[in-house]
Amino acid sequence: MLGFIKKDIIMLKSNFKTLAILIVVYIIMAFKGIMDISFILPFISVMIMISTFSYDEFNKWNSYACTLPNGRKNVVKSKYISTLLMIIITTFIVGLASFIITYTQTQKVNYEEILSIILGTSFATILLESFMYPTIYKFGVEKARIGIFVSVFGIAIIGGLLSNIFNFGKVLELLKLLENYIIIIIPIIMVVMLYISYKISERINLNKEF
Amino acid sequence: MEIIISNSSGVPIYEQIKEQIKVKIVSNELKAGELLPSIRSLAKDLRCSVITTKNAYEELVKDGYVINVPQKGFYVAEINKDVVREELLNKIETLLDEAVNIAKLNNIDKKTILEMMEILYEEEK
Amino acid sequence: MDNILEVKNLSKKYLEFELKNVNFNLPKGMIMGFIGENGAGKTTTIKAILDIIKDYSGEIKILNFDNKKETTKIQENVGVVLDDMFFPEILTPNDINTIMKDTYKNWDSNLYFKYIKDFSLPLKKQIKTLSKGMRKKLEIVTALSHHPKLLILDEPTSGLDPIARNEVISIFQDFIQNGECSIFFSSHITTDLEHIADYITFINNGEIVLSKTCDELLNEYGIVKCTEKEFDTLDKKDYVKYIKTKCEYDVLIENKKAFNTKYKIKTIDNITLEDLMLIMVKGVK
Repeated sequence: MLGFIKKDIIMLKSNFKTLAILIVVYIIMAFKGIMDISFILPFISVMIMISTFSYDEFNKWNSYACTLPNGRKNVVKSKYISTLLMIIITTFIVGLASFIITYTQTQKVNYEEILSIILGTSFATILLESFMYPTIYKFGVEKARIGIFVSVFGIAIIGGLLSNIFNFGKVLELLKLLENYIIIIIPIIMVVMLYISYKISERINLNKEF
Repeated sequence: MEIIISNSSGVPIYEQIKEQIKVKIVSNELKAGELLPSIRSLAKDLRCSVITTKNAYEELVKDGYVINVPQKGFYVAEINKDVVREELLNKIETLLDEAVNIAKLNNIDKKTILEMMEILYEEEK
Repeated sequence: MDNILEVKNLSKKYLEFELKNVNFNLPKGMIMGFIGENGAGKTTTIKAILDIIKDYSGEIKILNFDNKKETTKIQENVGVVLDDMFFPEILTPNDINTIMKDTYKNWDSNLYFKYIKDFSLPLKKQIKTLSKGMRKKLEIVTALSHHPKLLILDEPTSGLDPIARNEVISIFQDFIQNGECSIFFSSHITTDLEHIADYITFINNGEIVLSKTCDELLNEYGIVKCTEKEFDTLDKKDYVKYIKTKCEYDVLIENKKAFNTKYKIKTIDNITLEDLMLIMVKGVK
């Protein structure tokens, strides 16, 4: 299994340059106050992870891995572990960057804001990936990409329509109530989401016909 | 060990191996008690399959030219010169038999054949 | 003799293709060539043996382990080269070593680097920069470096030039030297097989047509070339199949000696695996 994680890390490494450049651009833009693009980072990290899937698929690595010891299981497990590593790294960078920016601009550290940025970005990343991975294992990268775009738009449209019909005041009240616990609730949701997604992907890959 | 294999001769490869080893044993190039290369290494050297060399060795064992010592390998046997001579004479007889048959079928008399033999023997020298 | 690979009653249905009751055994220490035209079911059979396709019936045993139940034990002891399946091509041969030494218990880095050197493969170039032949060699080297007991190879010599093919074949023969290891490989380049295969298993249209020692095939089977008149005298049970060309009948027979004693037809050629394949696939009874 360790071998497979190493494989993903080696593949990610070749993308680290792109990531580093983007981080620099992000910091500069944030400094100049042009715009806060912290939301772009998780998106980039997802794109990079997806690119490893593309490379895998191009050379049928997932089928080849089936012939290696415990490959069918480990190929999925290692992908989720390297994803987790990637999330930790990007979140750390985002956190560090926002710390530096707020500190240099205001001479004060706004922990609450940093925390909300960290939670927000990692939540977005995990949400996206938890949906995408099982779809990729089931249908392949190309179809999964289209599927995700369709479903993101779908959710947005349905959500918009629903908010017109229902009154969300009560939901917002409930959220307010939970505000103090949100720091615990969000990480729990993230872990549960990723775990369920992992289990689904594993099941798909174990029964897959290569 | 030098063995030349022809893929186009039509003679089965195991037979080519067998015959050539036989010649080496009869001519004393391979001496009694000598260890032959293993089935697998001979197969590799000759670029042929393991079963082919195994067949060749088994036939040699059957004909008494080689002894199989389990776990050790194949050794050149102490050959009985009389047996070898007998076998050679048999071979010559079959060949002559065919020649005589052709002669009889076509009314060629014994004298002509014997003369031919004389000439062939002289040529050899 | 123990078998290293046993395939019993393997069947698998696809929409337009079917593997029908495939049976064969590969003894320890031997090389088996698996031949058949493209689409005959070679790759499907190999994938079933490796358990990478699902929903097939039958029993497959490798080293006496059931391929569905004791998959990991099998995987540790089997080296695999599959057509078009490998590591992502942005990795380098050096990366493969890094990955594999944490994947196989018995991965032997020294052996791997030795093969890389023997085959003069680059260590730090991405796989995608390698030529087709080099890539194939890398795949073979990767399959060999954890001291497997069985090699399963799908078309391992396709795309290789004669020199590289020769190198690969010599590696195969080295691999079986100790008498413990076996090789199962599919190929449509039959001349390679004629030289080194101990057994030939021939699949056609999803069915095993024959599985025999190569010597038996090449020494006993033959092709009778005859005229229509001569052909009419043949008993149906004395030949396998025939092809009628413009000038003659090519008739595949199972036993040259028996045929010789029964019939007067004198033109009996030795067969090559290529002839065998051709008549088996295109011929009629």
